[in-house]
Amino acid sequence: MLAAQVLINALVLGCLYACIAIGFSLVWGVLNVINLAHGSFIVLGAYGAWWLYHAFGIAPWYALAIVAPLFFVFGYAIQRSILNQVIAAPVLVTLTMTFGLDLLLNNVMIYFFTADFRKLTLSPPVGSLSFGGVVVPVDRLIALVLALALTFALYVILRRSRTGRAIVAVRLDRDAATLMGVDVKSIYAIAFGIGAVMAGCAGVLMALIFPISPLVSTAYLTKAFVVCVLGGLGSVSGALAGGLLLALIEGVGSVLFGPALATTLSFVLLIVFLVVRPQGLMGRKGFE
Amino acid sequence: MAKAGARAPILELAGVTAGYGEIQVLWGIDMRVRAGEITALIGSNGAGKTTLMRTLSGLLPVRSGTYRAAGIDLSAARAETILRAGIVHVPEGRRLFGAMSVEDNLLMGAYLRRGGRGEIGRDLDRVFHIFPKLYERRTQAAATLSGGEQQMCAIGRGLMSAPTLLMIDELSLGLSPLLVEQLVAALRQLNAEGVSILLVEQDVTIALDLSHSAFVMDMGRIVRSGVSSELLSDPIIRDAYLGVIED
Ligand SMILES: Nc1ncnc2c1ncn2[C@@H]1O[C@H](COP(=O)(O)OP(=O)(O)OP(=O)(O)O)[C@@H](O)[C@H]1O
Ligand SMILES: [Mg+2]
Repeated sequence: MLAAQVLINALVLGCLYACIAIGFSLVWGVLNVINLAHGSFIVLGAYGAWWLYHAFGIAPWYALAIVAPLFFVFGYAIQRSILNQVIAAPVLVTLTMTFGLDLLLNNVMIYFFTADFRKLTLSPPVGSLSFGGVVVPVDRLIALVLALALTFALYVILRRSRTGRAIVAVRLDRDAATLMGVDVKSIYAIAFGIGAVMAGCAGVLMALIFPISPLVSTAYLTKAFVVCVLGGLGSVSGALAGGLLLALIEGVGSVLFGPALATTLSFVLLIVFLVVRPQGLMGRKGFE
Repeated sequence: MAKAGARAPILELAGVTAGYGEIQVLWGIDMRVRAGEITALIGSNGAGKTTLMRTLSGLLPVRSGTYRAAGIDLSAARAETILRAGIVHVPEGRRLFGAMSVEDNLLMGAYLRRGGRGEIGRDLDRVFHIFPKLYERRTQAAATLSGGEQQMCAIGRGLMSAPTLLMIDELSLGLSPLLVEQLVAALRQLNAEGVSILLVEQDVTIALDLSHSAFVMDMGRIVRSGVSSELLSDPIIRDAYLGVIED
């Protein structure tokens, strides 16, 4: 029974991890930008959900429809106005830029929301379901379904839409994409915008389950990073595999060694993967 | 073989220079390519043929001189504008999107076109008609195609951009003679349908045989030009290019 519970928990958490990582992975894969502000984007999305709920009574699953377009504009604008100016520079330059952005965003959030943890509590509570001893809180179940839906939506966009194909094409061969008439800089901005949307929406889902504070942004960023390394950069399936694997390791690890060591375990695995299989579980792909 | 015709040149270059950073590669290219023809561009390794094509398609900027296509000034145009003018570049090494399916590669060729499913679908059918192999492999990742199929896919992708001038860099490289024959036949067919072709080709015999007229490039300049059949029998050309390649 414990095993079943651990598996269910890992499934829920794994899909959320995938959702956290996928925008980060997209931006890294397509723009070759490691967005250190990704964790803060997630926290900002979580605050968005919190605020929309407590100020207007808008439930988080509806909040997604508001957060997503706002984050797209936000990400698009950042890429157009700042990052596109230095995109050709070495990775260290864009890394420093996003680091600065992260500090800025994080401090703004501390200013407005303080560093205290706050929790989005649904009232009335949605309760939980139990299947023969295995307990699944309904809010987690909702988060799981939404996380899968978002991930699938991104997959379909990249796979089936004209713009999605252009994003993949730019990732695979920038010059060849230019020859097809693709405006690479605008594709960069769109990809960064989508990355921000995924972060913001992941934040909304996280708010359903976890307490919110600017302090957790680093933890989210780290998860995104580990998932990318485990699953392999540049594919939706990789992010899913990486997310599930990470959640499983953490779940099993915390049963065996206690929660404190579980996180350490995932970092050990990170290092092992970097050495043994740097392309990740699913290998490098064209993001399909 | 050369067709008579007084149409406006599809390409008109005067004193075009270009290069990479500090390195200048093209030192004043003058060139008039007639519409409706197959034109060959030959020259030894490093002569600057690829650089010229990259400049014509807007991957590299024109540094000085003028570049006009069918009367439109493209000297300062971006790749997108050039493509919209019908100048399409099938690059050296094919440069397919390896992880994408054959069909998605072809659709990428139609990226700029707003013709809707119908028109693009018709062109897709046309490409599959010219290269039936591509139809069989349409769901397969482009990276898993054989060299010849990749070249077909690259040319097909170029056709999906609705070219008036199709520029192909290295048609035959690494392909078996039989395949090259098939591709040559396909190009003749396309040309008969009205597509002008500018061909960079290592195999000078094939190039001059297929084309109506030709330009010879050396060290970033055009050093000879003329009717292909005449160049083919020119002792200097034979010596410089045919002799070397045949041994
Ligand atoms: N990216 C680049 N950066 C710097 N120099 C380059 C670059 N690409 C090509 N060159 C130089 O430009 C010159 C012309 O190269 P180009 O590729 O245009 O020749 P080519 O005629 O196409 O040769 P080949 O027949 O071997 O394909 C060469 O001296 C080459 O070293
Ligand atoms: Mg070349």
